Amino acid sequence: MIHADDGSLSEEQRLMRDSCRSYIDDVVTPFIRANWQREWDMTPGERLSPEILQGAEQIGVRTLGVPEEFGGIDLDRESEVRTFALISEEIARGDSGLSDKLVQNWKVSILLREFAPKHLQAKWFPRLLEDPQFLLAHCLTEPRGASDRWLPYNVPEASMNTRAVLDGDHWVINGRKQFISNGYDASLYVVYANTNPKVGMLQGTSSFLVPRDTPGFTVTKCNETMGCRFMNNGELVFEDCRIPADHLLVKDQAMGSAGQYFRAGKIIQAAKNLGVGVACFERTADYVQNYVQGGRILIKHQAVAIRLADMATRIEAVRALVERASKAVDENHPDADILCNMAKVYASEEIMKVATHALELHGGNGAMLEFGIEKLFRDAAIFLHMDATVDVSNMKIIKNMFPKTAGKYAGPEE
Amino acid sequence: MKILVAVKMVTDPNVKVRALTDGTGPDLASVKMAMNPFDEIAVEEAVRLKEAGLATEIVAVSIGPAKASDTLRTALAMGADRGILIRADQAVEPLAVAKLLRAVADEEAPDLVLTGKQAIDDDSNQTGQMLAALLGWGQATFASRVKLGDGTLEVTREVDGGLQTIGLSLPAVVTADLRLNEPRYASLPNIMKAKKKPIAEKSPADYGVSLEPRLRVIRVEEPPTRQAGIKVGSAAELVQRLHNEAGVL
Ligand SMILES: Nc1ncnc2c1ncn2[C@@H]1O[C@H](COP(=O)(O)O)[C@@H](O)[C@H]1O
Repeated sequence: MIHADDGSLSEEQRLMRDSCRSYIDDVVTPFIRANWQREWDMTPGERLSPEILQGAEQIGVRTLGVPEEFGGIDLDRESEVRTFALISEEIARGDSGLSDKLVQNWKVSILLREFAPKHLQAKWFPRLLEDPQFLLAHCLTEPRGASDRWLPYNVPEASMNTRAVLDGDHWVINGRKQFISNGYDASLYVVYANTNPKVGMLQGTSSFLVPRDTPGFTVTKCNETMGCRFMNNGELVFEDCRIPADHLLVKDQAMGSAGQYFRAGKIIQAAKNLGVGVACFERTADYVQNYVQGGRILIKHQAVAIRLADMATRIEAVRALVERASKAVDENHPDADILCNMAKVYASEEIMKVATHALELHGGNGAMLEFGIEKLFRDAAIFLHMDATVDVSNMKIIKNMFPKTAGKYAGPEE
Repeated sequence: MKILVAVKMVTDPNVKVRALTDGTGPDLASVKMAMNPFDEIAVEEAVRLKEAGLATEIVAVSIGPAKASDTLRTALAMGADRGILIRADQAVEPLAVAKLLRAVADEEAPDLVLTGKQAIDDDSNQTGQMLAALLGWGQATFASRVKLGDGTLEVTREVDGGLQTIGLSLPAVVTADLRLNEPRYASLPNIMKAKKKPIAEKSPADYGVSLEPRLRVIRVEEPPTRQAGIKVGSAAELVQRLHNEAGVL
């Protein structure tokens, strides 16, 4: 119970999960325990010690998604997303920000594998593999809009404000991106920009590969977030940033192609939050079996026991949906889009409830920085808003089911 | 030079094992299994010898149920070259394990056999010693350092009084102690690569070894549960209680 059923996993998946678990238990959890009171004082550079990234390097978990021909790892493609989910969950059991930091590399690697020209893959994948500090970022969100762009109607006003214009053999990018996972630390960015202001976002957005040292590109700030603080979220500015023409990944239709990134991404993220839920359960189960109130360990109090049952049930329900959705993505099922959005929303709301139980069952200790339960609560809370809000995710689900009508009240009547 | 490493699947050292209520053994239903931690150290040592160019092939052997192939696969992911799984669904006693390992050693002719100093499930601490005796080879148990020379071996052993360094000639049996090294994690890419390495499946009958038990388990029970602590009012009361009740002063 609570953890993935071994019988549902392949031998390799079990071994990978076990390797990650040892790394988390030996390296990550002790670091997090020693530092969770310092989360608020650490500089971006101090968040996550070199040991953590070295450990990640030893188990080879930073560079999943890199194809084998470029020195990466050849996961079974028929169960790739399921494997990603399993590993993301396991890492998040140790720290959800660390999971974000690492999975961003997998998600962007998949995108590059599908859409980057071969010579750019041959240039960047080896660098990614060589340098333990090399991180990737995916830049969509802007100060003026993010998931709220996914309106049920496609209008030019909803387009990207960041623009790219072709000038000879270069694209010139101008604009800003905000709330970018790994934005503060990354070495290579996939950036979305408008390339046709006359049409809607879905027809007029292109994606580009932007190396960090490109003139005109600036990382302006590290965002201080309520949760997942061991991942450095950043803000970026593009001022006449010139990108060679071959760095264009997808012309005009980039939002559609980004599905590759989003579908796997939603599963990986939902599984990450599942890991937070599992950590909540494990800690709470341990606490209520040892902490005494009214002369009895907590779990002997019925009100406590039934809350623990509720935590377990919600975790299992999230797991069941994440597994079904990951299978749908792996098999390219027509409902994959709907299911992965469902998994994302459900994982965010249910694990929030699990974390709330954890907080409450720890009583006053739950609110104390020195106990680390409040950290899990914050990590669960921020996920409600990551990679689309709950409402926008729900909108995407229903729009997929009823494309002609759902949510179109405010649009032009057809 | 060829190294044979014996790896046993045991209950994961991090899980709390409970006794079956009828006292016939531990309750292993749905308990997480893992490679015996001392065997991880043995595999790591073999891999380091190979990486240092001192060994050419590492063969991992496990005796156990079908699921023990996970343990072999882990050894392959850490760097062993191939595996041998001798299928046995019942518990196998150290003497039978040693006989099977001898048969494998006869077949494979390794220069060195590495085992863990003990398996953490029944803590027998016998297999390596029995194997050396059956093979008529030298043995170095509880190794905390292994230095390979030309046909010789220098091993530092952790003994009760401190450290003892002995010299052996090859072939030999060495059992790994905790401080010999820090085993690596099986990395994800190596786990995928290990998928392509071969595991041969055998049965005890292939080696003519009988698993007939020679030991009888009379009862398995849990250690007594610890009493809850108490708070005392003063240092004087503490001393008085330690003297009168605990009898330690
Ligand atoms: N069933 C087994 N399969 C493979 N190796 C074993 C087995 N049982 C014992 N060994 C090896 O012998 C060592 C000592 O085990 P023991 O004598 O049972 O404490 C272990 O650390 C293993 O290296």
